[in-house]
Amino acid sequence: MGKWKLWLRDLILSSVILTVCFFTSVVLEIVFHIPEQISAAFAFAVFLISLLTDGYFFGLASALVSVLLVNYAFTFPYFALDFFIPSNFFSAIVMGVIALLTGALTTKVKHQEAMKAESQRERMRANLLRAISHDLRTPLTTIYGSSAALRENGDRLTPEQKDKMLLGIQEDAQWLVRMVENLLSITRIDSGNVRIDLVSTVLEELVDSVIVKFRKRYPNQPVHLELPEELVMIPMDAMLMEQVLMNLLENAVQHAAGMKNLILRVTAGEGQAVFEIQDDGCGIPEDRLSRIFSGYYDSKDRPEDARRNAGIGLSVCATIVRAHGGTIQAENLPSGGALFRFTLKTEEMTDEQ
Amino acid sequence: MNNKYKILLVEDDEHIRIMVGAMLESAGYQVIEAQTCATALSLASSHVPDLIVLDLGLPDADGMTLLQSVRERSLIPVIVLSARSDETDKVAALDQGANDYITKPFGAAEFLARVRSVLRFSRHSADEGRLAGGKFQLRDLTIEYDARRVFIGSREVHLTQTEYNIVALLSESSGKVMTYSAIIKAIWGYPDSGSVKKLQVNMANIRRKFGVSPGQNSYIINELGVGYRMDGE
Repeated sequence: MGKWKLWLRDLILSSVILTVCFFTSVVLEIVFHIPEQISAAFAFAVFLISLLTDGYFFGLASALVSVLLVNYAFTFPYFALDFFIPSNFFSAIVMGVIALLTGALTTKVKHQEAMKAESQRERMRANLLRAISHDLRTPLTTIYGSSAALRENGDRLTPEQKDKMLLGIQEDAQWLVRMVENLLSITRIDSGNVRIDLVSTVLEELVDSVIVKFRKRYPNQPVHLELPEELVMIPMDAMLMEQVLMNLLENAVQHAAGMKNLILRVTAGEGQAVFEIQDDGCGIPEDRLSRIFSGYYDSKDRPEDARRNAGIGLSVCATIVRAHGGTIQAENLPSGGALFRFTLKTEEMTDEQ
Repeated sequence: MNNKYKILLVEDDEHIRIMVGAMLESAGYQVIEAQTCATALSLASSHVPDLIVLDLGLPDADGMTLLQSVRERSLIPVIVLSARSDETDKVAALDQGANDYITKPFGAAEFLARVRSVLRFSRHSADEGRLAGGKFQLRDLTIEYDARRVFIGSREVHLTQTEYNIVALLSESSGKVMTYSAIIKAIWGYPDSGSVKKLQVNMANIRRKFGVSPGQNSYIINELGVGYRMDGE
């Protein structure tokens, strides 16, 4: 579909350029009486088309059309084809060469740009991997060390010490689980051509599912819900969207120091749903605000105490929301605290009465 | 000692097998272990367990094949262990006759709750079902099957025909996840393109009439993307 559209665009562009060139030539011939410049005008047109269209086809085709047009309409003998006059023959060769060379050059440039983008992605992936491997080491140390200590010196530890170590193991294992969930989500979208499956989901059920999970993880942090009264359906990959809400709520618990109230608010109307996660904690440092959804990828941006900073969570949110065609923002509230907002398209409800 | 529930655990990973086995034994169940589909099948017919806990990714044959062969012969309840990424497998397993699934990783409390609930369901469904004058009771929720009436506490909830049928269906299989397609088949008889949405709209109305809000431990648990389950505990 995209390829077809591109082809159509190139076709229209080429036709427009050639038509403009044709009328310019008519003006040159009739008004200014300088027919010797017509070949130059067509050569320029061929150059433009080769430059602006994809591949070689349109450049070469327009070169052929131009040669025929110039030969037929603008050079002696008028309104007849004659390739045996040297100047006509020469202009045909020049245009062909222009089309070929320009086509080759633009293709090369495009290819290089694609390679550059690819290597940029590659570098980002490498950064991500490095950062993650670094982050994985800490919880693994706890899990390995504590379990070894419990087995080897179990009899010399007090019950309190044992319990603390077991809790450490459990918490760090949970941290690993979350990290893996995020990585799974990213690879599911990042792996290129895998399109996410949009299934229409009831907003209420999504929120219900997320809140049940959230309560299990953070039984002491209440979430205040503000949801629309009416039934709202949103086409989404529900599992990925659960992850977005979970990450944003978790982000508040982990980073909004001094938070008392955590609000999940959804409003719907005009074909879109707006999700807001609001806290009244310490807010986001201004210098991090602009890069908060991509910070993790940039290793220079990572603060040293990155251990509990599952910064990957927010970039995962952004990736998922954008893959759904939505937008995501973060801001600090004048009243204190941070607000994360993202939008999704809703589904038109057809009444089945 | 012999009145313990017998549970067949089919799992190829040694660590998970040890962990799940320990969870079950510490809760007073008798555990039989199998690492492959072939052993599992022969153990299932020789020991006739009360429950099978089945990992979907087994080395010799797909867990799904085992599920199929078990279902061909018996109604032994099955709980499937699955990874988060294969939600389609989950639905397939449920439609194939699995009673419940649990996503790895899981904790002991969560897992044992599923086991209890599935065991209770299989014990009850045989005799209770829809006896005349039969009643269903779940915390505040009461369903009187004969009168087709539903109460929350002492307040009667007025449901439409379809809504009542859905609630009754879920209550008859309480503790078991019913996939969207299984509910649709039972309620409307045939699926069409809009039937999942029809079901979702009905569920939204039921929730409203029950007066439950998202995140509350409601009577009907919503398994996002899979189906619904009447709470079993």
